[in-house]
Amino acid sequence: MATFDSENAAHLHRELHSHLPSDPALRVKTLESLAIERGLVAPQTVDAWVEAYSEHIGPKRGAQVVARAWLDADFHARLLEDAAEAIKDLGFQGSATGHLKAVANTDRQHNMVVCTLCSCYPFSILGMSPSWYKSAEYRARAVREPRQVLSEFGVALADDVAVRVWDSTAELRYLVVPQRPAGTQGWSEEALAAIVTRNSMIGTQRDLPLEAS
Amino acid sequence: MDAIHDLGGMQGFGPIPIATGDKDFAALADWEKRMWGLARSGVAQGVTIDWFRHGLERMVPSDYLSFAYFNKWCANYLMLMLDHGSITLEDVKRGHLLAKEAEAAPKSIDDVLASNAQANISFEGACDTPPAFAAGDAVRTLRIPPPGAHTRLPRYARGVEGRILAHHGAHAVPERGAEGKKDYQALYTVAFSAADLWGPEADPRDDVTLDLWEAYLVPA
Repeated sequence: MATFDSENAAHLHRELHSHLPSDPALRVKTLESLAIERGLVAPQTVDAWVEAYSEHIGPKRGAQVVARAWLDADFHARLLEDAAEAIKDLGFQGSATGHLKAVANTDRQHNMVVCTLCSCYPFSILGMSPSWYKSAEYRARAVREPRQVLSEFGVALADDVAVRVWDSTAELRYLVVPQRPAGTQGWSEEALAAIVTRNSMIGTQRDLPLEAS
Repeated sequence: MDAIHDLGGMQGFGPIPIATGDKDFAALADWEKRMWGLARSGVAQGVTIDWFRHGLERMVPSDYLSFAYFNKWCANYLMLMLDHGSITLEDVKRGHLLAKEAEAAPKSIDDVLASNAQANISFEGACDTPPAFAAGDAVRTLRIPPPGAHTRLPRYARGVEGRILAHHGAHAVPERGAEGKKDYQALYTVAFSAADLWGPEADPRDDVTLDLWEAYLVPA
């Protein structure tokens, strides 16, 4: 069983640092070979997970959640009250959504999400996180200079808009609900979902153009 | 511990790598996708979420900063499997086991989607102590985190005054989870003004929230 010994973990990492090939593809191949030969996983199972995250589990789920919240006031209220429960309406519950929290942008507040200590992310509704979200640059700067970070993403904030940065330091995971753009009256849930971007649900985009990107 | 992973507020980093880091999962390198698939398959046995995180924190610091995300995960999964005794360092160097075991049963796409739908696990648990704080209370974070190799109180938010936004019930304590133990304690979302965290250079309109366990907090 696991030793849960911090110093052993550090010792083993130093050994791996000295003995593993530098090519990450070779390193992952080693890990996969050993896991398969130990009977811990079948290669087809790894294929299935790759397919799941390529085809099924992605930001389209979050976009549908947001679109429904725009259209359905009761769902919107339940989403803000208990997002982990509300997304079960759509069957999107899963990895890292057991304590999902939805936070809505308003005219006066912009929300932005980071995990400074690792890279926590609500995988089951947003899919794999973008690499920039996991970068040292974003993790270091998002909490200290969020406005400069937002400007790098092309976000310009009006003077009366406050920025709240949510640092996911526990098991809560955050979904930003962007504001519904003007000019979308009468749109279907599907049409609305098509304009909701992944970055807008992390909070590194604020205004949604009416043309899907 | 105050290790390399605790990046919040660290200065000296350049622009956010937006253009190079914006690929969808399907566009990632094959080895990255394999690594994620292996992780979802649970190849590291007997691991708690906080032991997994602490494993990453104990990486060689220069590797932590320079490795691509899934390359870090690969190092950590190998470490966790070595620590668990599933494999040996000789196996890693060889790249193969000397004696293979029976193959695991393959899972289909429907199987893994069903597994994912059941992975919305709760980290809440029973705690005999009533919560010490309520929404609106003024609190101060500790300057030195409670004992334990692993903490979720980042350096940038220590010894700072904030305000409780919400109480979330009792959640698994990370210090104990990294030791393979279960203990539950009140968890709160705490808001800190940007000025209190970063001084006069910060924008007075802004704040930062963190989700913090009761042991990190004292009344302000």
